[in-house]
Amino acid sequence: MNKYIERFSTSERVLHWIVTGSFFTLLLTGLGLYSRLFHGYFSLFGGGQVAILMHKIMGVVFFFSSIYMFLNHKKDVSTFDDGDWVWIKKYGGYLTRYGNHFDIGKYNPGQKLFAVFIAAATLALGISGIFIWFPLFFPRWIVQFSLLFHCLMFVGSIMFVIVHVYLATIGNPGTIEAMLYGDVRKIWAKKHHPKWYKEVTHDNP
Amino acid sequence: MSDTINQAARKGFLVDTARCIGCRSCQVACKQWNKLDADKTANKGTFENPRDLTPSLYNRIKFIESDVSGEVTWRFLNERCMHCGDAGCMKVCPSPGALFRTKDGIVGFNKDKCISCKYCVSACPFNIPRYGADDKVSKCNLCLDRVGGGMSPACAKACPTEALKFGKRTEMLDKAKAAKKPIYGENALNGMGVAYALEGPPEQYGLPASPSIPMSIFLWKDVVKPLGILGFWGSIGAMLLHYVTIGPKKIDDNGDGEENGHE
Repeated sequence: MNKYIERFSTSERVLHWIVTGSFFTLLLTGLGLYSRLFHGYFSLFGGGQVAILMHKIMGVVFFFSSIYMFLNHKKDVSTFDDGDWVWIKKYGGYLTRYGNHFDIGKYNPGQKLFAVFIAAATLALGISGIFIWFPLFFPRWIVQFSLLFHCLMFVGSIMFVIVHVYLATIGNPGTIEAMLYGDVRKIWAKKHHPKWYKEVTHDNP
Repeated sequence: MSDTINQAARKGFLVDTARCIGCRSCQVACKQWNKLDADKTANKGTFENPRDLTPSLYNRIKFIESDVSGEVTWRFLNERCMHCGDAGCMKVCPSPGALFRTKDGIVGFNKDKCISCKYCVSACPFNIPRYGADDKVSKCNLCLDRVGGGMSPACAKACPTEALKFGKRTEMLDKAKAAKKPIYGENALNGMGVAYALEGPPEQYGLPASPSIPMSIFLWKDVVKPLGILGFWGSIGAMLLHYVTIGPKKIDDNGDGEENGHE
């Protein structure tokens, strides 16, 4: 009997890693722009001007891939059912060692919130990025506000991403397989996403 | 911050607008010393020329015609980088050395180190820095090469009426105050390297009444930036703390006495 079931298709996984790759390239090229403290990161790219150019190119890649990824999962991540509310009330069981059982579909509310936040942040970072890209063509106050807002949305994103990476790796053993090979163990699916497991295996439990 | 200033050693301008005759010797002398190209301009029905600072025009005379109780008055203002004690451009510049402070308190620039981000354009309280075809910052550098060699800047040297006076900042301010002249730029922005004795309210000259670093820029660099670094390490710390206190959700873990596997 097969111990595994498919969670993410090949195209979903590739898209996810394009978003990831562009995000971290944006992070590394942007660090030197964030503060003079991180000026050394420019040398990874051969100087500030190259880093800025890479930041612009990767910004476009990230914008479209991230928005596309959100649209692919829009229905799954933007609706909350009763099982989700129980999860939210108990903080997903993350504040206790004792096992909680939640009736969760393909994504839990934390994942949904992350997806919606990143989509909103992508829009915000993309639009403010345009103003910062061409500061001489827009009123000064718009560019000034964009600089502040771009920084703020980045900080929100990186903090959320840290939580995302933790929960997808060491925080929930077995989860990362979904994004690497696409298949997860059935016991993993039954524990973390029982409602989804029932849905995808209903004719062949 | 990396920008520190020794107020006692500062040199700068005192611009006495009452003495300015609008001859624009300062504009010409600046172009000559700094080897700046001429700009093509168009006549728009005023003596003011050029109408704005450009990448190759570091200072200019603003001509302000106004109707004061039925009488036309003509005022002249020398517009340039103010060499602020708390300089917005230096606060935001991500490239160390692209904008720098000399021991005389001058804000200089180095095109070789400029990375063309144009943050300084947004952060300047007076909208001074310009970017030309080379996509690098340019603005008045207060002839820092001349000043460093003990000379006065080209513009002040050329000024025939002493409207542009250059020297030790504190001494010039004391003298102007003793002469009961209202001073613009004495304390704002930690003291502006270019202070003015104006003949009317600053707004009449197109200057902000109380100049300051734009609010968004302040929030960006002095609030969100430090809190963001805190938030970054805080998030990592919180995740590590979670791992060693509550721990991961293991899939094959049934050892806590509760049913959580449905195996």
